[in-house]
Amino acid sequence: MNAVMARLSGRMQAGQIIDGSQTGAWTICEKAPQAVAFPENQDEVAELLSIANEEAWHCVPCGSGTWLRGGGRPQAVDLVLSLNRMDKLLAHEPEDLFFEAQGGVRLDELQEQVSRHGQWLPLDPPGAARGSLGATVGIGCAGPLRAAFGTPRDHVLGATVVTGDGKFLRLGGKVVKNVAGFDLLKLMTGSWGTLGVITKVTGRLYPLPEADRTLLFECQDSAECAVLARLIVSAPIILAAVEVLVPGQRENGQSGSTPVVAVRLLESRAAVEQAERIVVDQAGTAQFRQLEGGRSRAAFAKVQNMEEGAELVLRLNLLPSRLPELMELAWELAELSDPNAGWGVRMAAHAESGILRIMISRVDRREGGLDRVRAILYRLRLSLESEGGSLVISEAPLDIVRDLGVWGDVGSAGALMRGLQREFDPGGILSRGRLGT
Amino acid sequence: MQNSLPKAIEKELKRTVGDDWVLTQPERLLAYESDGLTAYRSPPGAVVLPKNTDEISRVLGMLSEADITVVPRGAGTGLSGGALAGANSVVIGTARMKRILKLDPENRLALVQSGVVNADLSAAASPFGLYYAPDPSSQSACTLGGNVAENSGGPHCLKYGVTSRYVTGLTVVTYDGTVLDLGGFGRELGSYDLVGVFVGSEGCFGIVTEIEVRLLPRPEGVQTILGIFDKIEDAGRAVTAIMAEGLLPAALEIIDGPTIRAVEESVFAGGYPTDAEAALVVEFDGLESGLTADIARAIVKCRAEGARDIRAAESEEERLALWQGRKKAFGAMGRIATDLLVQDATVPRSRLPEVLGQISEIGSRYDLMIANVFHAGDGNLHPNILFDRGDAEQLARVEQASKEIMCACVEAGGTITGEHGVGIDKRSYMTLVHGHDELEAMRGVKAVFDPMSGMNPGKVLPDSAELPS
Repeated sequence: MNAVMARLSGRMQAGQIIDGSQTGAWTICEKAPQAVAFPENQDEVAELLSIANEEAWHCVPCGSGTWLRGGGRPQAVDLVLSLNRMDKLLAHEPEDLFFEAQGGVRLDELQEQVSRHGQWLPLDPPGAARGSLGATVGIGCAGPLRAAFGTPRDHVLGATVVTGDGKFLRLGGKVVKNVAGFDLLKLMTGSWGTLGVITKVTGRLYPLPEADRTLLFECQDSAECAVLARLIVSAPIILAAVEVLVPGQRENGQSGSTPVVAVRLLESRAAVEQAERIVVDQAGTAQFRQLEGGRSRAAFAKVQNMEEGAELVLRLNLLPSRLPELMELAWELAELSDPNAGWGVRMAAHAESGILRIMISRVDRREGGLDRVRAILYRLRLSLESEGGSLVISEAPLDIVRDLGVWGDVGSAGALMRGLQREFDPGGILSRGRLGT
Repeated sequence: MQNSLPKAIEKELKRTVGDDWVLTQPERLLAYESDGLTAYRSPPGAVVLPKNTDEISRVLGMLSEADITVVPRGAGTGLSGGALAGANSVVIGTARMKRILKLDPENRLALVQSGVVNADLSAAASPFGLYYAPDPSSQSACTLGGNVAENSGGPHCLKYGVTSRYVTGLTVVTYDGTVLDLGGFGRELGSYDLVGVFVGSEGCFGIVTEIEVRLLPRPEGVQTILGIFDKIEDAGRAVTAIMAEGLLPAALEIIDGPTIRAVEESVFAGGYPTDAEAALVVEFDGLESGLTADIARAIVKCRAEGARDIRAAESEEERLALWQGRKKAFGAMGRIATDLLVQDATVPRSRLPEVLGQISEIGSRYDLMIANVFHAGDGNLHPNILFDRGDAEQLARVEQASKEIMCACVEAGGTITGEHGVGIDKRSYMTLVHGHDELEAMRGVKAVFDPMSGMNPGKVLPDSAELPS
């Protein structure tokens, strides 16, 4: 056991820290940490960070590890800080539509508990039903429901953050309207653990809708889907989600699955009927299927899991009106898929925000191999950025991540970002490299 | 007052923005001596009115070079003294930056210059069935740049959220003249949420010159009722009961007895009963078919909490009449007292009845008339203290009472400002809600954006000497 490990172990109970031989599951972009610690309270988090500072150990905070594959490749990983054991819902005040929870609480666990009082947190980020609240906020990622409810920044009212140099910051509070000072909470949301460890979150809940209905419109191809989805989005109402879904060519070993536009309606019973009429009217077709209640929820739970088993996950964005074009570009990327391995290529697009996810089961390494993939992604990113869009390489073979980076050009924000990192993490030990700078 | 702007700088500024747009004559500076919080007055050293990002960048470059501090200003409707400038500062106003640069109905986005008036954007979007959701009371005058600085709210933020929810991109200029393009709708750049942290920074980080915002489709229907109560605490309980029922009204506003009487005695009289102690406006919007059921459930809750009368609006005209007492409250109060201190604080909704009781007790103890008119659904209180500035002894009582009200709100789990900002007015209250490390972190973040401390000096953060250790 090395000296740092001995210091860390000295502060923790048995089982709260594991060392190099057992850390395989916590590998980040092929960098295995020297240790993984499971602090049980924020004082322990601060203590771990202060030791890490003294020993110049690089730390990456996480929850249950769902997101370790996404995000930029860290410069170094010595210690992974998992908040798995800080997983309690601390308070739920139904009258105030308010909750307070530890950062490591699982999102599905939180939803289960608040639903007993007819409430929910309308967030459905990719993969994260099992993921933790703290990580969801730290990554700032949202799913289809962003169309009506926004992203984590819109739900979080407050947080306790332990900064890189071990200070506790209590940001925000319990109330929805709060402009008492600069909004540092916004900086923490989506900071990928580079500014601090989110140990506690307070947030705003919503009443569970009376009715949950999904309308599925089948289309000939994804191009038709994109056009139809944009048409539906322009209906004069706010829809909970409008998603273009293209299943893999060989899902469950079967071929020939059809692309659909999935429209989710979350309203009172009476309003759902009316919303359906408006959507169908707007779509100009009576050809659709209805999924009600649990089946509607299950359909969108599947959307959360679409990235599972993918070797390459990309997030493309242009202005939403250009979704049909973006979809066409996406099909060119489909060529990168190995035609003989796995389920092929899946796509899911948020029609309201113009974000398209492409999931490729296995990258084709035959003609030109990864060099071809690299060249195509490089050109695509430049072209999207030049038109005000973006390309994020969420998951990819390590060579690609290393050469192209996960994120694109942060533009004029780079200097500010470096300044902010120095402010919150003067020792430079937190998640360096996870975000673009 | 002597204008402190060096002649050489004045000349350079004039060359940049045009002679007419640099104001230095004392009589013209008088119009800039305060914002909506008139208790503080001090004319700036000069006012510069550029027309676009490029001019602002050049103006800031010159001023920072000369170490002259800068105070940004929109329409000057702010209520915390955020646009107050001393004689050594130059005000940069956005009064000439009123262009809507792009209206994109297909993507429900607009790109505007920061001097565009809030209500003008909704008016321009209206032919497309769209509107801009945040609706501060001053929306017919206040600018979107000012809204960004203050992270403004409004009655309908209960359902739709405040300014930060709608701002998707910003062009800002920092003190040294650097132009930064931040954010952009849907873009994922691996950057911090710099747009988010800039919103609500009260002009302390830089000047916003262009803003990209999201627009919403106009709701198909709106239904409004007015509940009349004999006790304000009952109205407060009705608010909690409505929200706990799982309803999400577009607005839930309370007007208390003193405010009702002030309005009814004025030319704005809307027909509220003057013996009532509270009126509660409940408004739902959205799809027509859901509204009637929602309203019916809200009425049941109001009655259960003791509403003695419920009025429903059958037409748009009647709806506006129900809102009359809320919308005209400030105008009416202006008629019965020389001065009005519009306070602003937030408490968790369920604590409203108790905190309202405390405010009333504080008012009696200091022998002050306090009228409440507020966004009850958000727990966002506006206790308005009526007074006469000429009476120094009374002014001292106003200050004491204000501070006690703030403490009561913080103790109830709330905060010192919900939508008006800290500005110069509430700096000394910041330590009620933030500790030493939080304030130091805010100071640090300000220094990242504004290392020379040239932007809006003396606002938001308390002096280091006031910090708790």
